[in-house]
Amino acid sequence: MSDKNLLETKISRRGVIKAAAAAGVVQLAAPFIGSARAAEPVKIGLCNPLTGTYAAVGKNELIGCQLAIEQINAKGGIIGRPVTLLVEDSTSGDAGTAVQKSRKLIERDNVNFLLGNVNSALALAMAQVSNEKGVVHIVPGGHTDAITGASCHWNVFRVCNTTQMEAYAVAPELLKKGGKKWYFITPDYAFGHTLQAGLEKAAAKIGAVKVGGDLTPLGATDFSSYLIKAQAAKPDVIIFLPQGNDMINCIKQAVQFGLDKRFHLAGAQQELEALEGLPPEARIGTWVFEWYWNQPGVPHVAEFVAAIKKKTGRVPTARTWFGFASAWSCALAANQAKSLDAHKVAKALQGLKLPPEVALMPEQPFFRAGQNQLIPTLYVGNAQAKGSAGEDDLFHVTEIVKGSEVAGTVEESGCKMVWPS
Amino acid sequence: MSGFNRQRASTALVWLILLTMPYWMALIGGYTELGTRVLVLGLAAMALNFLLGFTGVLSFGHAAYFGLGAYGAGMAIKYLAPSTPLSILVGVVLGTLAAALIGALIVKLRGVYFAMVTIAFGQVFFFIAIRWNAVTGGDDGLTGWQRHALDLGLGKIDILGNDKAYYYLVLILFAIAVGIMALLLRSPFGRTLLAIRENERRARFLGIPVEQHIWLSFVISCLFASLAGTLFALLSNFVDPRALHWSQSGNFVIMAVLGGMRSFWGPLVGAAIFVVLQDFVSSHTENWMSIIGLFFVLVVLFFPRGVLGMLRRKAKS
Repeated sequence: MSDKNLLETKISRRGVIKAAAAAGVVQLAAPFIGSARAAEPVKIGLCNPLTGTYAAVGKNELIGCQLAIEQINAKGGIIGRPVTLLVEDSTSGDAGTAVQKSRKLIERDNVNFLLGNVNSALALAMAQVSNEKGVVHIVPGGHTDAITGASCHWNVFRVCNTTQMEAYAVAPELLKKGGKKWYFITPDYAFGHTLQAGLEKAAAKIGAVKVGGDLTPLGATDFSSYLIKAQAAKPDVIIFLPQGNDMINCIKQAVQFGLDKRFHLAGAQQELEALEGLPPEARIGTWVFEWYWNQPGVPHVAEFVAAIKKKTGRVPTARTWFGFASAWSCALAANQAKSLDAHKVAKALQGLKLPPEVALMPEQPFFRAGQNQLIPTLYVGNAQAKGSAGEDDLFHVTEIVKGSEVAGTVEESGCKMVWPS
Repeated sequence: MSGFNRQRASTALVWLILLTMPYWMALIGGYTELGTRVLVLGLAAMALNFLLGFTGVLSFGHAAYFGLGAYGAGMAIKYLAPSTPLSILVGVVLGTLAAALIGALIVKLRGVYFAMVTIAFGQVFFFIAIRWNAVTGGDDGLTGWQRHALDLGLGKIDILGNDKAYYYLVLILFAIAVGIMALLLRSPFGRTLLAIRENERRARFLGIPVEQHIWLSFVISCLFASLAGTLFALLSNFVDPRALHWSQSGNFVIMAVLGGMRSFWGPLVGAAIFVVLQDFVSSHTENWMSIIGLFFVLVVLFFPRGVLGMLRRKAKS
């Protein structure tokens, strides 16, 4: 039945179904037709959460990637070829889906680079796939240590910090502002476990102690039972480690309970997305940011902020920068290697220094060879209801920490890198 | 064409499609792994349908046995020995044993009570998997293992690097499982199950031991569900607790209902629609779940016998 027929005759149920089926078939045929084009673009596949608790941060990474790809294409692409971005929704917590989508990107779409994932557990699962297939894989924003530690792979790189780095960066400030008795509220998955372990390690070094802690399931909405337990333990600091919506719910409830009047509420990793989601009175505590948009005097930051504002109307967050730096790293390494061969690109990435227009930080970040971890700058400070630089200035940086000072050694990371023969 | 011939022709068509699938899927935008996934989830849905469609008992906890199969397979490779056949065996035995025990406890329940209790037992395994970090890897899933090449004595078959080889391994196991289920349904045992489905009280008055039959049907159904689970784990080289979650059980029920739970091949069709739709739509929109939900609602409203049921009725008229 043609469309014309459909208009002329009474629209039957059968007709609608057939038309829908036909539309579906046309969609399915699209990749087949697409592959007939002459110039083959370089493909970067992003498998990241677009739904669920990490949807907001996942989308910001996507926006960063998109801006980077526009810039890369404007500057001549990767080894002279245009670059396209393929995006798949990994969901926020379903590793099975993330693995399936990664295989789809690698097997069907033949991507040259794989990016993802926000969720550490999903990033680890994806790393296993990319390693099996020998595809260069950059993790923009999954923090658990194992990615560039015990489970490191020759082809897997990471832009965001390890939880250990964040913990060492923020721990002295927690002790100074809060006190030495720490209580942990920790999300129950790879990221949370390692972040807490990192803080405990840092605490032992500076003389703070853990007085208790609880593991909360991902996607929890009611934290009251954990908060009651926390106040019963009489700590100096309650350390909140959940991320995304979980963190927002948790801090909101803590402030509603009035815990902010009696304890120092703080944490390690904090993000602009979460602060934006909090009511002004709940924007409190000591945290570490991995990138911040308000960096007076650091070259190219203002241009980047303006470009993202033009795209979305909002200031960029650390996530935007992660996506931006990840996509740019692919291009920089491939152009340096003059090849898309995974081995050569991986070799070029190891030790790669990000140029100022990508770095957007006071210290020049670089991928440390031996564990494939980017060593950037960290920003320790406190959340604020509203800062001097306007509506979006929700974080006051008090200390700039060099990544190299908190990253430990490659041996400490536990990474033993094996190259395929 | 008589009904018998038509049935043969459609069965032949299904096998023809399954046998050739890896070779034409790429042309229409698919990939081999998607085909394998359809087979694996199709097997799970058909296994569920053995109980749901042919015995008339609704289980909402089949993910438990699916997931136990998956964890059994993964842990066998990780902790016991790097052998694919062994891992499949361990997974199936684990799932079937659990089903035999739990089945014995719950066969007296009917209808929604049976469904609720199967969910409850399923969630028990889910929380064990998510909490027992040291052994199951907790919420992160079980990683650090992979399927190994099949050693047949004459030579090795590389089912790890060659995804078509793995597809055909899954297809062979799928064929055996489906063949056994079809034979069972044609046997006096299978006819008795149908009798129980149609009228349990009458079956009981005829002297049929209804509880034993339902128990056996439950165990057989879970056996094949756990087989599907082992294949699912080996497909991704990965298991996580979501394979055990009740929402996964719900997906199996959706597949069975979508395809048509009164027809033998219905759940496979349902699984194919579900998997392909999920894979395809989610690449285009982040609201893919609402589209699948809408599709399901439409099918339930307009084709209560599922997609295959609708096609069949049309063929008859």
